[in-house]
Amino acid sequence: MKPAPFSYVVARSADDVVAALADGRTDVLAGGQSLVLEMNYRARRPARLVDINRVPGFDRLEPDGDVLRVGPLVRHRAFEGDTVPGPLGTLLRRVVHHIAHPPIRARGTLLGSLAYAHPAAEWPAVVTALGADLELTGRDGHRTVSAADFFRGPFDTARRAGELLTELRVPLLPPGTRVGFAEHRRTHASFAQLAVIAAVTLTQGRVSAARIGLVNAADRPVRAHGAEAALLNRPLDDPAITEAGRVAAEQDADPRPQPHADLGYQRHAVAVLTRRALAQARDQG
Amino acid sequence: MSATSDVIGARLPRREDDRLVRGAGCYVGDLRIEGCLDAVFVRSEAAHGVLRGVDLDAARALPRVAAAWAYADLPFLPDVPPMMDPDSVRGRPWPPLATDRVRYAGQPVAIVVGDDRYVAEDARDAVRADIDPLPVLLDPTDAAGSDVQLFPGSGNVAAEKEFGDPIDGAVWEQATVVVEASYRQQLLAHTYMENRAILVRPEDDGGLTVWVSHQAPHRLRRDIAGGFGLREEQVHVIVPDVGGAFGGKSETWPEYFVVVAAARRLGRPVRWLEDRAEALTGPPHGRGQNQRVRMAADADGRILAYELHIDADVGGYPHTGSFVPMATSMMATGAYAIPQVHVRTRAVVTNTAPTAPYRGAGRPEAASAIERTVDLLAHRLGRDPGEVRRRNFIWPDAFPYDTPTGFTYDSGDYAKALEVALNELDYDGWRAEQARRAAVGEPPIGIGLCTYVERSGAGEEFGAVEACADGSFVALSGCCSTGQGHETSFPQVVAAVLGVEPQRVRLIERDTAIIPQGIGSFASRSMQTGGAALHRAAGRLIDAARQRIAERWAVPVAEVTYEAGVLTAGERSASMADVAAGGVLRADETYAPPEAFPFGAYGAVVEVDPELGKVSVLRLVAVDDYGVVVNPLIVDGQGRGSTVQGIGQALYEDVRYDSDGLVETRSLLDYLVPTISELPPTRFAETCTPNPNTPLGAKGAGEAGCIGAPPAIVNAVADALGLRERDALQMPLTPYTCWSAAR
Repeated sequence: MKPAPFSYVVARSADDVVAALADGRTDVLAGGQSLVLEMNYRARRPARLVDINRVPGFDRLEPDGDVLRVGPLVRHRAFEGDTVPGPLGTLLRRVVHHIAHPPIRARGTLLGSLAYAHPAAEWPAVVTALGADLELTGRDGHRTVSAADFFRGPFDTARRAGELLTELRVPLLPPGTRVGFAEHRRTHASFAQLAVIAAVTLTQGRVSAARIGLVNAADRPVRAHGAEAALLNRPLDDPAITEAGRVAAEQDADPRPQPHADLGYQRHAVAVLTRRALAQARDQG
Repeated sequence: MSATSDVIGARLPRREDDRLVRGAGCYVGDLRIEGCLDAVFVRSEAAHGVLRGVDLDAARALPRVAAAWAYADLPFLPDVPPMMDPDSVRGRPWPPLATDRVRYAGQPVAIVVGDDRYVAEDARDAVRADIDPLPVLLDPTDAAGSDVQLFPGSGNVAAEKEFGDPIDGAVWEQATVVVEASYRQQLLAHTYMENRAILVRPEDDGGLTVWVSHQAPHRLRRDIAGGFGLREEQVHVIVPDVGGAFGGKSETWPEYFVVVAAARRLGRPVRWLEDRAEALTGPPHGRGQNQRVRMAADADGRILAYELHIDADVGGYPHTGSFVPMATSMMATGAYAIPQVHVRTRAVVTNTAPTAPYRGAGRPEAASAIERTVDLLAHRLGRDPGEVRRRNFIWPDAFPYDTPTGFTYDSGDYAKALEVALNELDYDGWRAEQARRAAVGEPPIGIGLCTYVERSGAGEEFGAVEACADGSFVALSGCCSTGQGHETSFPQVVAAVLGVEPQRVRLIERDTAIIPQGIGSFASRSMQTGGAALHRAAGRLIDAARQRIAERWAVPVAEVTYEAGVLTAGERSASMADVAAGGVLRADETYAPPEAFPFGAYGAVVEVDPELGKVSVLRLVAVDDYGVVVNPLIVDGQGRGSTVQGIGQALYEDVRYDSDGLVETRSLLDYLVPTISELPPTRFAETCTPNPNTPLGAKGAGEAGCIGAPPAIVNAVADALGLRERDALQMPLTPYTCWSAAR
């Protein structure tokens, strides 16, 4: 479990990174929590790593108007505290404790997780559900891709060769939005078999907006539009929640074969977890 | 603390922990041997096939690569010897590097040696093995009946035995209830923290120094000497600190012979440090049995007959695993007196990696089969599972008890262990809670029991005690600690006999140049056998000292008394140090006490998520009877460790193969082991039935949790789900398994 030979370069700026990536054989080293493992298994053999850990400003994490801006070096751990205010902060805090364990959260980065696009990772479904935008930087400058368009399949994204994921912009959730997160996994430190993210805004006791994301329920993160529609203009009561779960399982999920679960079980679990995430949003906000 | 009674049973902190916890231990991988090269194995990527050729040219051309060799390049490479059962390997030779055929994915086909592990892996990647695939057999029952033969002409059943007598067919017709079931003992990985490791240095005189992470250094010495035509004294085996073994480091693995051959041919030290990817995909695997049971009972729950059929997966070569299912067979009846018993067992070669003993080594499989079946029987009869067990126990007045399968149990009080377990668990309280939850519709809980008997210790062990002129004592043992804490517990035994402080005794083991003979540490044998040998050696040291003093002072031996390190005759006295100053004072002992049969009772309470099937263990109680316990702190640790591995088998662990015979669980992200987050609140309690066959009175300790925990947990889940048929409930009990079983 030793990596194949590679060279290493330290970047001091986004331009350095983009220049390094131009050879098409260089990978970005941020937290390294997935990359290095894959290199040790020789499943990935970059000729060179460009280390972005010393690029000034890449660790920015700040609300800006109605969005939260997240830079490429913001570690998972940053979301454990109360840095991010409001309901979005509550949601991210609930999610982050389900990611691996503390040593990994101290090194791994949110943007790294998005770029890696592991099908069982939580962050891709969170940003998809919340309608976030991702900024990619390449030799031709910046471009913005919506989360909905970014994820294309397991370990497959819209990031082109030579591009660096430079920023995530997540819309802040309006005050009064209630959030929930439910995850199903076999052990504390294992990947999610399935997880559901919910953010529901109530106006005069009825759902005026709903954002629901499914983790590991398809070949890419899913925004459960069907389930969201099932909730609109209804009170967040048990029948509505159950109906949303049913729709998420039948319409939104598109489960793929995985060990220790057939497709029927996976759909069933989508219904259960959607219900649980929505109930948490209602009861614990 | 000097009196015997105080030292035996003292919770002395482990001497080895200071260095191990601080990271100051020294494992094979920590050794810095000048000029040492790193070996990496090129492994078959096919599970079964004809090996057409191995192209090593590109690997040899790489800089800093010292060698790249296939079988033909290493003349006189000896075949892997069978561990126990020579009959099973006849016609099934295991060349350490594949010759013309590969029989499991991961089988070594070549070795590459480089200046470090990085370049050796580069060289490995440059090797091309040309393999024509053959049909793959992964299930032992299928393989037993298949036309595809792994060893053409020798059949796939490597060993087949029957135990007990065929059951009178009338019993199945006349019994009030007959239950039948099938169980799968899944394949497990040993998952030691330190993987296998060996470093071989050729010496100028033609001999070898071998540092190795191992459980049985003298056996390895014998095998290496025998394989390479050396005298045993030319092979010096040293076992440094070992990070766990669990049965996977008793063997003489093919890689060891290849490293020896490479080091000799290169004339340089060579080491192989197995990495996690190799450890999770290659041998050894543990367990791996298909079990089919039938049990008959009368209306009172008295068992009339028990039949067990086992097809055991021994992987591509039967050398290390064929005897394990025979141990299962001999322990088939567990804690019960059953009039008619019949076991038929087949050890079958397949294209999985070879199996080997894994903590418990056949006994967990036996306990699981009968404990699940007794539980099913109680459920069918509508009786309490504790009551049905009590009705069938072998009672204390029946010992020594000859089992129908050929063992003689030494002693036991199974009902007492069960009673302690039920009390510690608050069995009645949980039954009430179970009823309350059912009444109000809260998530179901289940309560499961297991009363097990196991076997520990086998064969002889060497122990010696020497008095030193400085007043200290040295204990020498043929055992080989791989984490059991011998440095602490063995001096306790010697100190107790000598009546001195344990700090005055230090232990030497794990070095064949200092320890003349030894068997090693496995089968929970260290204290029962090795401790008992030291116990006797210490007694004989006192006798020898009295004899010498009697001669020196010209008094009858009977007038020389010994107490607490001092010899006295009339007005005169002398210390052991004084006696030792007059010449070497040492007693050697080789002792072979009979096997012992520790036992116990486990209880588990589980909650099952009614929607997702996820099992949460709310409570676990482990009551073990190890006979006399020398150091309860160490034995508690053994109980905790083995219980964790038992929970792992019950709920999480499973080496999974795809249909091509490749392991899918290739990292610890896929092969799930329990961590601290998965451990339930657990109570450990003991009963003490001393071993009647040794003066020390210790039985084996170390594997109990692997034996007792899985059936207790599985029975609790079956109870929670109210299952009448349980064949769908196979370990590991994943959420999906439980959800499916309940539908």
